Amino acid sequence: MSDLTTLDTLVPGPLSLAGHRLGTPQRAGALTMVPISGPAYPGIVPPRSGLKLTRVAGYGRVELSNGADRGVAIVPLHIGYVQDAAQNHALCRSAFLAAGQRLMCEDACCVQESQGGYLTERDQWFFILPLELRARALELRGVSDYGKLWRDIADLNRGHGLPRRGHLEQILSRRRGLLTQYQSRLEPQPGQLGALFFIEDRFAGLELAPDPLYFTEIWAALVCFAYGVAAWHADPARDAERQPPPEPFEATGLGELRAALDRDRAARIARIADRIAAVPTGPVTVQEEERYLRLRLSTVTGTHLAGQIVTDGDRAVYASLFARP
Amino acid sequence: MDTPTLLTHLETRGRALTLPRGGTLCWDDADLHRAAYTDDPEGYALLGLAPGVQPWQRARVLLQLLAASQAGLDDPTRHTLARTARVLTLALPPACVITVLLSLRRLRANHKHTTRTALRFVLEHPQADQLIAARRPALLDCFEHALGKATARGCARRIADGDTGSDYLQRRLLRFLTAPQAALSRVTALYGTGTRQQGTAVEHGPALTIDTVRERPRTVTATNRGDIAATLVHLYRGGPAEDLYVALGDQIGAAAAAFPRFEGTLALVVDASASMRGHGDREWALLSQAAALRMVLSEVCARLEVIEVGGEERAPRGATDLAMGVLDALGTGPDLVAVVSDGYENLFPGDLARVVATLPRAGVTTPVVFCHALFTGSDDLTLRRPAPALPQRGFWHQDDFAELLPWMFGHCAAGAPWLRASLHTRLDLLDRRADRLTAPSRPAA
Repeated sequence: MSDLTTLDTLVPGPLSLAGHRLGTPQRAGALTMVPISGPAYPGIVPPRSGLKLTRVAGYGRVELSNGADRGVAIVPLHIGYVQDAAQNHALCRSAFLAAGQRLMCEDACCVQESQGGYLTERDQWFFILPLELRARALELRGVSDYGKLWRDIADLNRGHGLPRRGHLEQILSRRRGLLTQYQSRLEPQPGQLGALFFIEDRFAGLELAPDPLYFTEIWAALVCFAYGVAAWHADPARDAERQPPPEPFEATGLGELRAALDRDRAARIARIADRIAAVPTGPVTVQEEERYLRLRLSTVTGTHLAGQIVTDGDRAVYASLFARP
Repeated sequence: MDTPTLLTHLETRGRALTLPRGGTLCWDDADLHRAAYTDDPEGYALLGLAPGVQPWQRARVLLQLLAASQAGLDDPTRHTLARTARVLTLALPPACVITVLLSLRRLRANHKHTTRTALRFVLEHPQADQLIAARRPALLDCFEHALGKATARGCARRIADGDTGSDYLQRRLLRFLTAPQAALSRVTALYGTGTRQQGTAVEHGPALTIDTVRERPRTVTATNRGDIAATLVHLYRGGPAEDLYVALGDQIGAAAAAFPRFEGTLALVVDASASMRGHGDREWALLSQAAALRMVLSEVCARLEVIEVGGEERAPRGATDLAMGVLDALGTGPDLVAVVSDGYENLFPGDLARVVATLPRAGVTTPVVFCHALFTGSDDLTLRRPAPALPQRGFWHQDDFAELLPWMFGHCAAGAPWLRASLHTRLDLLDRRADRLTAPSRPAA
């Protein structure tokens, strides 16, 4: 596909996506993923193998550590942890952690409104807050109130036909078997370090990692939870029994069939390109939050999108930008 | 005979034959069985022995074989049918066989081959004494139907009078048996007045095991899915290559030796995408099983065309384009296309279904089947059926190949001789084991 020039207009200012390219889109139900490849930015510690949840020091207080010998860790925006025998929390913001450094996040959100919702998991695993909660969570960064997201979680649960409780596990755990299939229904490409997500043809988010390893490690959390929850809810054909019968191509031979398939795919890819071009644009404000040597962590806020980015000069290193409701 | 349809029916419809007292036999799929028998008696009989066929469907096959006339059949076919019937009488639970024999009485079906099979079951079954004790009235009915009531009672009277080998007894009873002396006391028992031994023989299982009983591990891991896959997982993980390759060659050879040679061309579309690699505890589970199947097929098939989609067997990556894979496979001019995948179609879900729906109008008659690579025998496939119209079957263990290959090759004309040869081999094996079961015990030296 074409160079990623369209997104330069989507995200103006300090985020340059020069050199990044879009790959062939993939679909899974209502969710479309457009792979992004581009130049890697070495030296960033990836979140699964390097970043650890050290402890939960009471409600709303989560300590992370960068266990790597060298390299700075970029805490993925809206990362949340599920662990045994502790309340589960998610962060409202991204952050830098130098090698060996510990960071106590005082503004974390508890995502379990009451006791009784502990999850028993053999392994600690992490998620990214569902799309529906991200704008609100970003607004609440810096606010030390562990229950600040419970009402929004309750609304999300009600929208999914679940009890109106501030328990994110109602979705993440009970539907985990279905949600985690998104990591196989959509598969990252070799060298992929980012993705555009669309839900029902509407722009949902842009995720960019420093390098393919970082992206691979955050892939499941993104596709299954950050975007998978909304995609699953929006998928009109998630009931396989209701799938319409497949429409045959107009072809009277194997060669014609192959050509018809090619044409059809080209048309679908062109439609997705049109949707990318049609993503609403507008002015955004960029507020610097943190620095680490040459790296800058900034919050981006616009009418159509929000999120956080990490840049080195005008080069994009990390981005997690999502459509605002 | 539509082999795939019949085989699927035999493997999935397990409803019991019922014979209400005073009512008619409930045999809902009699027409299907009758038509299949009429079309190809030997092929039909052998299919009843295919791995995975439901016991009550095997009972129906036995009923059909015994109810139908063999007029016009050549001797080899009659011989195959007789051996199959005998194997089935030993491989089915005795209660099933009794229902079949009583059904024959209700259908008023009797032929020489019926008589022989019934008498050998009643008088020579390895558990005959216990069966007679437990089900004497029913077995007496079977015995009298087989011989005719007057003849049966005449034989019994003579035996009671001490006759062990008169011309009458020989012509009417003993010539049907292989161990006449052991049978005489059982005829007496049939007409005896002993009290019924409640709940003994009825609970007996089959005397002959036709399908190997497989124990499912409590936890299915990447390496308890058969030897080949286990070795492959260690190779993929970077284990000591030399030892593992030697073992792999032996394991593939042993597995392939169980199957006859497929003389046609099989095009195998192998999903080598990232999801086939998997992650965590189940990393390599699916791909190793798919690779094991590919390796066995490479030994079994005279010509095997492999089309990988996504990445490669040793380096699975990327997205799954099954639709284009099938088109590439059809381009090789195969007798059969088999897709091996976890069922996650990534590029544009629905393309495979559309391609499959177009094949008939595109003039393509080559059969296409879908082999689901599973984590366990009970995966949720709701989101993993990219082309529901395709015949599909799952496999998660190397032992599943015994059912998978007959099902696959049964879909193409070139597979017919393969299937027949495979089932003949199976019949020979079962027949030898049946001989050992029913052989008269040697007198002590």
